[in-house]
Amino acid sequence: MRRILVGLIAVVAIIALVAFTFILNRKSPVQPTLQQHAASAGKATPAEAASPPDDGNWIMPAKDYAATRFSGLGEITQANVGKLQVSFTFSTGTTEGFEAPPLVVNNVMYVVTPWPNNLFALDLTKPGAPPKWEYKPNPAAAAKGVACCGPVNRGASYWNGRIFMNLLDGNAVAVDAESGKEVWRTKLADIQRGETITMAPLVADGKVLVGNSGGEMGVRGWLAALDADTGKIVWKAYSTGPDKDVLIGPGYQAPYQQDKGRDLGVKSWPPGYWKIGGGTVWGWVSYDPQSKTIFYGTSNPGPWNQEQRPGDNKFTAGVFARDIGTGQARWFYQSTPHDLYDHDDINEILLVDYPIGNGRRIPALIRPSRNGFFYVQDRRTGRVLSARPYGMINVYKGVDLRSGRLIPVAGMEPVPGRAVRNICPASPGAKDWNPSAFSPVTGLVYIPHLNLCQDMGVKNANYIAGTPFVGADVKMYAGPGGNRGVLTAWDPVAQRAVFEIKEDLPLWSPALATAGGIVFYGTMDGWFKAIDARTGKLLWQFKTGSGIIGQPISYRGPDGHQYIAVPSGVGGWAGAIVSAQLDPRDPSGALGFSNAVKDLPKRVSAGGTVYVFALPK
Amino acid sequence: MSSRFRNSIWTLVSLALLAGCDREKSNPRGQPLAETIPDTSPDTVFPGDAKPRPLDPRAADYEQNAFAIAQGQQLFGAMNCVGCHAHGGGGMGPALMDSQWRYGGRIDQIAQSIAKGRPNGMPAWEGKLTDRQIWQLAAFVRSLSGQAPKDAVAARADELSNTPPQTQTKREPALPSDSAQQ
Amino acid sequence: MTRRGLIVCSFLLCLAACSGIQTPLGNSGADDSSFIRLFVTFLVVCTVMYLLVVGALAGALANRRRLLTVEEGTHHESSPWIRRALIGWAALIVAGLVGLTIASFFTDRAAAKRAMRPQFTVKIIANQWWWDIIYTTPDVSQAVHTANELHLPVGVEAEVSLESNDVIHSFWVPNLAGKQDLIPGRTTDIQLLPTKTGLYRGQCAEFCGIQHANMALAVQVESREAFLRWIAQQRRAAFAPTTPTELAGYHYFTTHECSSCHSIAGTPANGQVGPDLTHVASRRTIAAGALPMSSGNLYGWVADPQSQKPGNKMPTIGLAPNELHAVVAYLQRLK
Repeated sequence: MRRILVGLIAVVAIIALVAFTFILNRKSPVQPTLQQHAASAGKATPAEAASPPDDGNWIMPAKDYAATRFSGLGEITQANVGKLQVSFTFSTGTTEGFEAPPLVVNNVMYVVTPWPNNLFALDLTKPGAPPKWEYKPNPAAAAKGVACCGPVNRGASYWNGRIFMNLLDGNAVAVDAESGKEVWRTKLADIQRGETITMAPLVADGKVLVGNSGGEMGVRGWLAALDADTGKIVWKAYSTGPDKDVLIGPGYQAPYQQDKGRDLGVKSWPPGYWKIGGGTVWGWVSYDPQSKTIFYGTSNPGPWNQEQRPGDNKFTAGVFARDIGTGQARWFYQSTPHDLYDHDDINEILLVDYPIGNGRRIPALIRPSRNGFFYVQDRRTGRVLSARPYGMINVYKGVDLRSGRLIPVAGMEPVPGRAVRNICPASPGAKDWNPSAFSPVTGLVYIPHLNLCQDMGVKNANYIAGTPFVGADVKMYAGPGGNRGVLTAWDPVAQRAVFEIKEDLPLWSPALATAGGIVFYGTMDGWFKAIDARTGKLLWQFKTGSGIIGQPISYRGPDGHQYIAVPSGVGGWAGAIVSAQLDPRDPSGALGFSNAVKDLPKRVSAGGTVYVFALPK
Repeated sequence: MSSRFRNSIWTLVSLALLAGCDREKSNPRGQPLAETIPDTSPDTVFPGDAKPRPLDPRAADYEQNAFAIAQGQQLFGAMNCVGCHAHGGGGMGPALMDSQWRYGGRIDQIAQSIAKGRPNGMPAWEGKLTDRQIWQLAAFVRSLSGQAPKDAVAARADELSNTPPQTQTKREPALPSDSAQQ
Repeated sequence: MTRRGLIVCSFLLCLAACSGIQTPLGNSGADDSSFIRLFVTFLVVCTVMYLLVVGALAGALANRRRLLTVEEGTHHESSPWIRRALIGWAALIVAGLVGLTIASFFTDRAAAKRAMRPQFTVKIIANQWWWDIIYTTPDVSQAVHTANELHLPVGVEAEVSLESNDVIHSFWVPNLAGKQDLIPGRTTDIQLLPTKTGLYRGQCAEFCGIQHANMALAVQVESREAFLRWIAQQRRAAFAPTTPTELAGYHYFTTHECSSCHSIAGTPANGQVGPDLTHVASRRTIAAGALPMSSGNLYGWVADPQSQKPGNKMPTIGLAPNELHAVVAYLQRLK
């Protein structure tokens, strides 16, 4: 009798243990639908029309409309990159954050500086690459007082004999690439209202696409298309407000219920708040020439104090697809409704053809978003195929693929009077503006990003035009593991990281991938690194004069050899403690970043130099 | 103890309490008409043998006045100074808790910077704030670098700034090259 | 008149507070009515017990001579009726306490039951020294933002959620309900069920600074139709200026000191740290009950708020006479 009892207890215990294990391993709603196809499906490839073969030039910061940041030149390989040496350098004379990549077109290198936004043309055919001309646009100095994250400039674009760039004080300019003379200048943004322009324009279909900055200044966001020849505004699409301002018409088809409806840009805000609501377009725009569609993301809603703006706050922190000719929206997907932590959505959007199993491929877009999820979406409809975390997240449970909605963790909303601690990812997100690179050779996305968490407190923010509209105190620090930066090689088809390289300092520089199997990126204390694209092994590094937060590029020089160029000059939001000489004793400086990089001023100084490397002759 | 002794003690104690009678005047209303922006200069070089302008006589009224510094602390948050200057550490704007002053660190120079604005991005608040409020802000800014007397500094705010309390803020030195800072 | 008579008369005068716009005996809110019932119950029971105690004391005093004359050494048996009286007394006390507990329990339960069926919500955020009032709606773009004056429809359960932007305040409208603190960093709430239309006065009941005494709240309880009319009017953007003086006032307001703190819907003035002034002229009081609304008071307030409410956060600007005329003319347009 006793033995039977013992046996019964054992059976019950085993069943309970098994059930308990099941409960613990219960899958979250983030069930990637494509995981089972990953192994046999093959690699993602860049969208063909958007990614022509490499001609040795670098005409826009993203390299191509698909935003691959991939160089087809293969002279520098894993075998010889260890011998890479400096070919020449160029000092710009500025010491603010240097984010813009140099452009190379027909053996001329074009360098854009942060404020005062000077443009240099360097003659690569002569030894030492001396300047051919310099264009000094003289933007207003007062613009520096309304630029949230350094008076930076993220680059220019070349098209049809002209260089197109934006000035900090809100002007878009076109400069003749041969002579350096200004062709047209169009004033788009008003610094009196706190608007500036820092983004690199995208030139496509005869239009120059320019978006404003100022999500921390109570600015209403927009994206404008200017005629490339004359500079006149062709269309302007706002990110908040009534449908006629947001250019939402009969052709609009949102993939999910959360983004369907009329005048959502007014209805999802308290009265009047959409006019000062944010949704600026200060990041990257991609373009699909086949469907004539542009893709871009919008910034955070303002103010950071979420209690002042109940509602979903459309159309901030989401991705738009628009027709490039008319600006009419095709679809919109809000990655982060009612954003709580300044998780903008302006990160780069890579256009790829994506395998979904059974040999089928669909036109997709893939993007590592600021909220920590790597999204794979059908770019015809906006439907999310998968969203997997690529960094440490403890404030979101996941993305519900049925409704498309981000699921926040309850109880982590910042409310006035109460500090919320250990928010991961921090406000700059799992990755901020600095774009990743995609290699069609390995099929991996190389994401230079952050591992930061923060404490946050909010209070009632006052709105006075031209002053910050934030209402938040933030203190950032390293996330789990103690490293503040990480380079992840992410397989977008298998939905997982292949390798990760931990970096002490946050990674604020973009990445470059080359056909030689190398990935280049830089650290905030100035190390320019080359790693093996398959394994992540460090193959070569060089210490430049200042921290690297700018895009490396690769081009074919006049001698037919491959060159690698990188701008070196720390600054931006992450490096403000150095470039603006902030006081590290106040952890809330630079919107909380001061605390995360307290040690940076001892390790690096400000600067502004372009370094160009090549293999020895 | 004897009653005479007790009486003497009580008399002494009562006299000592008179020390508390010197209360600070908070004067919330100020002058009936608008005060003027100080007539000073951010510069330290005066051609010929000209001397730097003397410190505005109103400085002491504000710099050592706890009410003014407390009002300045409230205005610092309400007028979005925090958004650019953080809690003294800086961000879009320069740090205010250190010893570097681009446009002069005397209270009247700071008040002028706030009122007139400065090139490189400091907005001009004249007309958006009363002059009295500007002086109160300048007094608070002075206290961020430890220049205010420790019995007048503002209470520790509830923000998540984690800077040391103002009563423990080290007094930043006036730079020898900056003769205007007295 | 004897001294005792004078004392009694002064107590009677206090009863004058029993009616009026700010009294806990006003019987105008459901919580208030149930509180009054409970109060009366307690009063009656305690008065009866008090009279019995006094009576017993009087009896004891009356009998003391008789007891003193009892011979010493006599074994005095306690009379049976005293024991019975004591047992009865204990039973009465127990019954009384149990009865009062039950009455209190039912009152609380009724209040709690009401708390689960609110029909609309109002958010009140207390600042030093004014009340920020937001009527929230499921459609966030239809919210109504006003200050210092609360309107409620009669007979409709209102859930009032309370927050504070700086220090601890306390929300108290005596005619409607009891006090509830507004604590920074927390959200508290109170349920109001007004039963009688009328104008009432509430005020801050927790010391919150130098102008705590002048932090009052005008509460208007009105019929449902009147309330909806009022809400619709408050939802509109501000009236545009018509005369040149009003236009000058509008320009001054939106470009000078006023818009640093105040907002007026539909204009560029969007300050968030002071009361919303979109419909300021429709309010009964100025500055959270410090002054009744009138042309002269408005002039006095705008010209010199520090002399009316010293220490409050609105500064004395020192407006020139023409500026003062213009600004007040514009404010009076904002009905």
